Formats: sequence, C-alpha cells, structure tokens
Amino acid sequence: MRYLFILFLAVTQFAQAQQTILLDTYGHYNSTGVRRQIPDAFFYGGLIDSSQISQSLTKLSARNAFGLQMGFNAQWQTPWVVSKDSKKWGSGYRWVLGAGIQQYGGIQFSKDLFGLVFQGGLPYMGDTLDMSNLRVEATTFAKIGMGLVNTTTQSSFLVHFVAVQNHIAAALQKGTWLQYPSSAQIDLALQGQAQFSGSSPAAYGVAFDLDYRFGSAENEETEQQFQFLVQNFGVARSTQTTQYNLSGSFQYAGFSFAQWQQASVNSLTNGFLDSLGYQKSTVSSWILLPAQFQLAKVINWDSPQRLDAYYGAQFMLRQTYTPLIYAGAHYKVKKAWQTGLGMAYGGFGGLRVQAYSAFHFKRSQLLLRSDNIALQNGASLYLQFRCDF
Amino acid sequence: MAILFSSCKKEATRWHSDWVVPVLTDTLSLSNLYNDSTLSVSGSQINIDLSRTLLDLGLSDLVKIPDTTISQQYQANFTVSNVSPGFTFVNSVKTHALDLGDIQLKKVRVQSGQIELKVYNPLNTAVLYQIELPGVSQNGQVFVQNYTVAAGTVQNPTIATESINLSGYEIDLGGQQGLEFNKIQSKLTLKTDPNGQTVSIYNNQVFKYEASFKNLRFDYAKGYFGSTLLADQQQFTLPYLDKITNGSLSLPDLSLDLQVENGFKMAVRAQIEQMNATNTQGQSVSLNAPSIGPSMFLAPAVGSWNTLQPSSLVLHFDANNSNIKNYIENLGAYQNIAYQLQPNPWGNTSAGHDEAFANSRLRLKVSAQMPMALNADALTLQDTFALDLAQDLNKTHVTAATLLLDATNAFPVACDIVLYFMKDGQIMHTVVADAQLASATLGQIDPQDGLLKKKSKIKIVLPPALVADLQDLNQVAVSAAFATTDPTTGLAVQQSIQANAFLALQVQLQLQTQLRP
Repeated sequence: MRYLFILFLAVTQFAQAQQTILLDTYGHYNSTGVRRQIPDAFFYGGLIDSSQISQSLTKLSARNAFGLQMGFNAQWQTPWVVSKDSKKWGSGYRWVLGAGIQQYGGIQFSKDLFGLVFQGGLPYMGDTLDMSNLRVEATTFAKIGMGLVNTTTQSSFLVHFVAVQNHIAAALQKGTWLQYPSSAQIDLALQGQAQFSGSSPAAYGVAFDLDYRFGSAENEETEQQFQFLVQNFGVARSTQTTQYNLSGSFQYAGFSFAQWQQASVNSLTNGFLDSLGYQKSTVSSWILLPAQFQLAKVINWDSPQRLDAYYGAQFMLRQTYTPLIYAGAHYKVKKAWQTGLGMAYGGFGGLRVQAYSAFHFKRSQLLLRSDNIALQNGASLYLQFRCDF
Repeated sequence: MAILFSSCKKEATRWHSDWVVPVLTDTLSLSNLYNDSTLSVSGSQINIDLSRTLLDLGLSDLVKIPDTTISQQYQANFTVSNVSPGFTFVNSVKTHALDLGDIQLKKVRVQSGQIELKVYNPLNTAVLYQIELPGVSQNGQVFVQNYTVAAGTVQNPTIATESINLSGYEIDLGGQQGLEFNKIQSKLTLKTDPNGQTVSIYNNQVFKYEASFKNLRFDYAKGYFGSTLLADQQQFTLPYLDKITNGSLSLPDLSLDLQVENGFKMAVRAQIEQMNATNTQGQSVSLNAPSIGPSMFLAPAVGSWNTLQPSSLVLHFDANNSNIKNYIENLGAYQNIAYQLQPNPWGNTSAGHDEAFANSRLRLKVSAQMPMALNADALTLQDTFALDLAQDLNKTHVTAATLLLDATNAFPVACDIVLYFMKDGQIMHTVVADAQLASATLGQIDPQDGLLKKKSKIKIVLPPALVADLQDLNQVAVSAAFATTDPTTGLAVQQSIQANAFLALQVQLQLQTQLRP
C-alpha cells in the first residue's frame, strides 16, 4: 500500500527544484481474522502454540484473507528537460528514471482449511470441511524504467521493463474433506488448478506507472488537489509455466494386505492422484502484474489550516485483495512536523487505525507511517525519503 | 562474533497437528492361507484337504532327443564337363544314428520343435536341392523340401537357410527295415537349373545340406525308455511355519497319503528313502512307517491317449502305522524327502514296446486330511520387516505415534502382539500392545451369521523416545503369540475353527506431527 506516497507533495516548492531523489520502502501484512502471532511466527520464527491457533479460529469467518506486500522503490527526477525550447511542450517535462522490486502475496481461505492445516484432521473427525474458494496469488518482480515528469504539476508517466522472479496463481473452486470417526476413512474431493512460474527470472514484460494530479491550480492554497495513481500496470510473458489441474475425488480407508504387498508407495500415490484427476503440463502464459489504482486527496504542506482531512480509495488487480478505503485527520503541529491519524478498511484486513508523521527539512522530507497501530491483525511500516536539490 | 551471529539465526516456524490415517482394512479368512488347500465345510466345522504335488515328470522329462544336426553332402570324384541344364547328378539316401544313451526309440511324435535347414551351393549355376526325410511325415506326407539355390563358388558357396516347425510330425526311428532304433534317414537330390547354362562339376565342389533338430518335445514315444535311476532329494519350506519362534501346536488325529502315479506304459520302481522335517528351533522328526525305505513297483499304465489309465501306489500314513501326528506337530518348516524312481527296473522286458502319451505323467503327490482344529499354546510367529521411516527432525516430522487396531475375531485363537524395533539386528525398543486380540471364544454369537465373534480394540503406543529414534531404526520384528485358551480354565485346549471364520482388521495410525514449512 503506497497511498500515502504523495501525501505531502508541496507542489510549489518542488517546481523550483532542479532534481529530486525519492526513496521509499514498505512492508506490511494483514488478515481479516488470523491473529498477528501466527504470521509473526512465519516471519520471525518460533512455535505457534495451540492457544494462538484456537484464538485465530474463533475470529475467523467462513471466508478469510491474508496478504503481504513488501517493496523498495527509487526514483530520480533528473534536471534534464525534454526540450530546451520554451515554446515546445517538452520544456515543461523532465526525464525521470525509476527502479524497484515488489513482492505481493495474498491468500483467501476458509476457516475449515485453516483448522485442517494448523490443527490436523483429528479434531475434525466426522465433520465435512469446506475448503472451497481457496485462492493463492504471489508475485515477485523487479522493474526498471524511465519516463517524464511534469515540473509544474508533478504528474508523471514511466514505462518499465519488468522481470518476474516467481509467480503463483492457484485456485481451488471446490474442495471438501470428510473423515469418518469409526473407520478414519478419508473422503476428499478437489477441483482446482495452479500455475507456477518459478525459474528465475520466470518471465519478462512491460508495465507503466502513471501519477496524474488534478484539481485546483497549484498556487491556490485553499483549493484541493487530487491524485490518480496507477502503478505496475502491465503484463509479463512466461514460456515455462507449470500448470497443475485437479478435478476428482477419492475415498481412502486403508489398503488390504495384498495391496500393501504388491504395490509400492509410489504406485499408491499415483493411484490417489489419478483419482483426483491430477494433470501436470508446461505451458506459456501471460502474467498480469499486481497493478495498483488509487484515487486520493493530496495534502498541501503549505496550507494555512492546522487541521485538515485526508481520504482516498485504492484497489489492485488481484482477486485476493479487496478494495481499500481510508480517511483521517491531518494536523500541522508546526511547519517542520505534521502528523495524522485515521482509519482504513479493506485490502487484506478489516478496520484498523493508521498514523503517520512527516518531517520537513530544508531540502528533504522524511515520512514514517504505520497502517496498523491498533485493532490490527498484522503489522505495517512505511518509510519515505525525498530530497530536492 | 559466532555467538553474535548464532543468536540472530531465525528460529524455525513450527506448530503441532494431530492426524489419524487409515492404514489397513482387510478381512482374513482361511482361504488367504493356502491356495492349494481345499477347505470343506462339514456341519459347523472346517476340514482341510491339503494336496501338494512334489514331483511331476512328463514325457519330455524322461525321453529327450538333444539338439542334433545331421548332414549329407556330395562331392564328385572327378570333373564332369559340359553338364547340361536340368541334369540330375545326385540321388542318394543316408541313415543317421542318434545318440540317446540307453533309450532306444522307434517312433516319436513331435509336440513342439523345429528343424533348421542349411543348403550350400558351390556351383556357378543355380542348383535345385530336394531334401527328403523318409522317416519324417505328417498325415502320411513325407517331409520334402525343395530349394533353388543361386550360383556360388567353391570359396563362397551360396547358402540358403530355412526354419521349419515340426509340430505334429511323426518321426520313424526304425531305420529302412523298421527293425532298428534311433535311426533317421535322409535323401538328397541335386539338379542343375533347367534354365541355366551348361557347366562343369569339379571334384573340389562340395554340395551339402545340414538339418538341425532343435528343442524337440514329444507327445508320443515308443521304444525302450531305458532304466536310468532318478534319485533326488526335494527340499521345500512350508510358508508361515518358518516364522514360528516359540510355543507348541497340538492337532487332532490326521492322516497323510503319499501317492506315486505312473502314466507311462512301462514298469517303474519307486522308493521313499526318507522323509524328515526340521522346525525353526532346529528339532527334526523323521517320518517312520513300514512303507518308508523299501522299494515298491508300479505296473505299466494301460490304454492309450484318452483312455490312458495310470497305475498308482498309495502310501498311507496315520496314527496306527506311523508317527505322522508327531511329524506334523513338530511344525517342521523345512521339509526334506529323498526318493528314487527307476523306469524299467528289469530292463527291456517289453521288447521295445514302452509307450508314452501326451498325458503320461510320473507323479509324487502328498495329501492330508484333517479337521481344522488346533491347540495352540503361546505359539509364536515372528517376522521381520525392513523399516525405512527416516525423518529429519529439522523438517516436518512425527513427534508421537499410536497404532490403533480394531479387530473382529471369529477364530478361537487369542493373540498377543509385540513389536521389536531394531537397528542392524539389535533390538532398540520393545513395544507391547495394551491389550490382547481376544479369542472368539470370549465373544457372543452374532445372529446375523451365526458366528461366535469377539471385538477387540488395541492400542500400540510408540513412545516419544522411539519416535525420536525412527531415523536410526531399520528393522521391525512383529511377534504374534497365539493361544487357544479355554475361557473358563485359562488353559490351552483344542479348539475347532468355525466354518466361515474370519478376522476383520482395521488399523489406523494416529500421529502427532510437528509441521515446519
């Protein structure tokens, strides 16, 4: 989530800068129901005890989400204008170079599947577990590109060359698990598919970033300015995508003596997979990058008002990500320090509290933000540094 | 620095989950035990009719013609010039003797096998070869093969080869007059190509053919089959008995028959020299009876083909004439029988009129009949299986395991189960089941099928120390001690096995796992 990237774009002063370096890094994860201790154990290691699992289970609904985003971006708005002829349109644009690495991971899952994975089948003997509508999406990619930035409005457009390190897209439309208490017989039915592009780099492609500012004239301090941001909108082509399909069911109640004697574990496993309609193939595929669209109000750093409101909305081209809205109050403590507190809802989680502080120095800005300081099932940290010289 | 870095090492993410996995679902009945046994139901009891063939010899085992090559050739003594096309220059018969030891065959019929013909032509024009085997015929037609072999040279004669299936051919081995034996005739006729050129035949040109009889098996033979002594020792292991490590078994009275069957039209002498059996404790018992040791004579079979009536000799062993009960109750897994069989013990008394047909067999069969009842007292079967359950404790692994056995037993036998987990043959862990697989005698009659049954639930808990050692263990010995205990006295008594008795088993494995993604 990068919707506060440009929260403090003091447009007037940037128009005077010769060149700008913008660095940002972020990492956060969130869930609609899974308690934070569980993903923390995956990130930092440790034992997930049964009480944590039980507490998460009580908070989970039938459908749940968990997601993770991490990244680092660097942008250099060069001093070179497109055209030195002030009569041409290019005289108002400077060249900009950008690079970054992004990781997106999202999963939608049922409460039953969470219980089966973290508690095992024993507590659910006799229950039909619904694992349907499982969806897993994960993409890691790097990009490098160039474009133009409008020196007056700070609107920009960049085209990137993209290298995808790995990509996973898996979905289970139908899935049920039933284990009978008396015989321990397992009835499993699965229908789904998965695509893995794993060799590094797995795919190459093209994406563009658009930062479009609109609203009032830049010198009208009392009027609002808005930002429409598109990031990583593009595709990559993989020629070595491994595709798996499952569509079938099996019942397993143990083998007979003869089967144990005559068959190998491999052949028995293959028998299960055949029953499940398992197929594996290698195909070429297009990968739609996790593009992000955002519409947000831009806070004016030089506004005479001490108290202001901020708000915005964001969505991503990912089925595991729900549209996110946020709103809050911005307070100008003093010119060099401004801060804010608000609420966000959507994305990978439910309602939570966000807060930020921005520090303005002579030629630079530093922004610290967390989107999960209360009511949270996750963690969030965002750092942005901007230098104009 | 090392301490500093090691303290920063990420601890593994892990959690515990509990699973139950069905492992085995099966129902064992007596039909699972021996596929060559006939179980007959008599009232509510089962009788065993065990029948096993120890020796089964056919015609091809007694009468064989080894792979044999006969050859006939022609070589002129002097040069014959200006041989016109179509000139016949050889027409001769040759008799070949087969080396068959003391067997003197007059006639055989080929069941399978082939003859491979190889013809050489050194002449500089094509030659027509006619190969005739006067004693070899099928449906009255004598075996004749004609070949036109292209021109060759002395150094490089043209060679024609062909393989002909001889199945169904009769071979008369009586020679020209029919009074001899082991004789086969061939006739070679050579003619120059009628459409060829005039040539000369030189004395260094060898015209020949070779006929190789291969893999001949017969379904009829007549002659004298010799009197070669067949003496052998048959050793075989009875399944399951070699797994018994302890205990005793007492059986009801039983009888055992050894039957010698002669389907050949010749006299046969048979002698059972010795029968003994050794059990897994090394105790041997020899079968003692008047018929063990002396020679017995079987008359020739009578009839022919479909009307063939073998002669037979039955040696009966029971409690009145032998120690057969002790012999069986010794549970000898390793059986040893020494015997002699000799055809024509008095020589060629049939004047070469021994006969054998497709269905002629010389058999030695054993059969036993007994009611299916037993008295087992801590009769212990133990078998060892390879174990490969290596697991990496730094990855997802099992932390605790319990085998759950759910059994319905309709046999009057109780069973105590012990597992020995071993490393290179040395016992490292011993696991005893928490309960006995109960005998049907402790149960009740099921009105559905009228069988006495008893259900048992048994837990075999593999302790954490054992689970932790699994990666080092490579063998498991399963020991099952059976007892036919009287439910009131607690003493081992003889119990009859119900008709349709079965043992239904469900084995589940309850696992606690530590998952480490």
